[in-house]
Amino acid sequence: MSHLFRRFGRAFLEMPLVVKIALVWLVFIVGAAIYSRLDRILGQALPLQDPFYQPFLFGEAKPVEGPSSAHWLGTDILSRDNLSRLLHGSWVSLIVATTVVVFGLTVGGFIGAFVGYTRGKVETLTMATLDVILAFPPLVLLLALVAVYKVRNLTMIALVFGVLGIPTYVRIARASTLGVASREFVQAAEAIGTKRRAILFREIIPNIMPALFAYALINAGFVIVVEGTLSYLGLSVQIPEPTWGNMINEGRRDIRQTILPIFWPGLFLTLSVVSLNLVGDWLQQRVAVRSSAL
Amino acid sequence: MLAKVIAARAVRLIATLFAVSLLTFLMVEQLPGDPILAILPPEALDDLDNIERIRKELKLDDPVLTRYFRWVGDALQGDLGKSYITDQPVSDAIKDRIPVTLELAFLATLMAALLAIPIGAFSAYREGGYFDRAMSGFTTAALSIPGFLAGIFFIWLFTLKFNWLPSTGWNRITDKGLFANLKTAILPAGALALAPLAINARLIRADMIGTLKEDYVLSARAKGLRDRYILMRHALRPSSLTAITVFALQLGGLIGGTVVIETVFALPGLGTRLISGIYQRDVMMIQGITLFIATIYVVVNALVDVLYVALDPRIRRQ
Repeated sequence: MSHLFRRFGRAFLEMPLVVKIALVWLVFIVGAAIYSRLDRILGQALPLQDPFYQPFLFGEAKPVEGPSSAHWLGTDILSRDNLSRLLHGSWVSLIVATTVVVFGLTVGGFIGAFVGYTRGKVETLTMATLDVILAFPPLVLLLALVAVYKVRNLTMIALVFGVLGIPTYVRIARASTLGVASREFVQAAEAIGTKRRAILFREIIPNIMPALFAYALINAGFVIVVEGTLSYLGLSVQIPEPTWGNMINEGRRDIRQTILPIFWPGLFLTLSVVSLNLVGDWLQQRVAVRSSAL
Repeated sequence: MLAKVIAARAVRLIATLFAVSLLTFLMVEQLPGDPILAILPPEALDDLDNIERIRKELKLDDPVLTRYFRWVGDALQGDLGKSYITDQPVSDAIKDRIPVTLELAFLATLMAALLAIPIGAFSAYREGGYFDRAMSGFTTAALSIPGFLAGIFFIWLFTLKFNWLPSTGWNRITDKGLFANLKTAILPAGALALAPLAINARLIRADMIGTLKEDYVLSARAKGLRDRYILMRHALRPSSLTAITVFALQLGGLIGGTVVIETVFALPGLGTRLISGIYQRDVMMIQGITLFIATIYVVVNALVDVLYVALDPRIRRQ
């Protein structure tokens, strides 16, 4: 374990400054998302404002306040605290993105490695099936599914995203498997009579994972954008439950009075996606260098 | 050789279209609940004879496959059925709305292509310089900002702050002329163009960095040709191949991408019709427009594949 920490520490030191900042931001967002739900897990209130509380109803605050010590990022048109709504919203993005990545890496990674290594009819059939899903423009398919089946709760949305995300992971995993499967160490393992299943799990999958993980980071950014878009259209988690996208949608009406309720979620959304792209790109380059050195 | 590639791609295209249409059909077919409940007003549901009559009339009691083939057969003849809610034929809605969507997608592709070429070329020419680094920052940002957010930002900046351009609405080219049309089209097209612009600039840069290291560029330099001439004539031409393919591919993707941008700017395009269909749960409309957009996307992708082979002699020989 300490060995892993040291490796990670060394990798962190080698990062360019922007990538370090990006990683810190991502850690912050994950922390914020978990913190925003911690009260439900612990069963006791934590120092964070209620994202639904409208203090102006009780004469405690005005709508559309600028940043102050009570409301660090100001309040929205209903005098709700922008910061606490943002933190609550990050939970939705985190859950959806994590689901897609986990589904992609496990299910997608396994299917891709399996068909890429065993080849044959199963491979042809699998890839043809996936091509049909990939034939749809991603947002349009999601829109149609979510609309027709009235998917509105977080679990179902995360599942739909997760399942629809799998095909690309399969493609990438399969492509890398084709490269890995012809390498010497796989041939050597085959020559000494290692079982094919063992080769798949011990030689192939560990070797395709770094590249797939780098893709997963970039894909997570894309997923956050798509979920934000659905939320903006009012087709994801429903108000008053805040998401970055539906905060932007709500703020849109009041854009003439204040830009803050749009600015903050927009900033969080964009910074998170930029960060995922930066870390993903960096990892991708590192992986490429390592595999070309082999 | 080329004919063979086209034939193979055409077969795959037809298979994909078949599967796409089946999936679109089944997606709606699997809907929980009787479609008759969505069609008839609640007070008409007491009359069982009436329900049976309408079910017969709409041929809803046929087997699934029969209905699928009828739907596809009609679709091939340009009939995608009628909206259960407004009674408008879906194909009319598409005909009505598609000009806006196509113009947006086309304009965005054009903007992305025209801006990306000089940006990419100059970044490659001065690799690692100030311009290159600034542009690398810009492309990262442009790739990360969601289209709808860029659209809202444009509205805030150009309409609310500077009051230069209208934020919503659409002037038809045929009613008000090209200039008035562009005034309403430029902001949404710009928001739409950001991501493809960034992708194109990066691609052209990467491609040109490779090309600029080729021997023939060196010999052109040795001949004493001007840098700009070398950049445009010797280097850009081989690089343009990848670029053309990518541009064409983007046009297909953008037709899906306009959905949200149209909503942000409240434009009378196909996307807003799809979204309003979704809000009203207008199943025929959702089905028809989804099939239509997916078909364009699939066909464009197939054309790009063929174009790529036709343009690049290296691939053709393989």
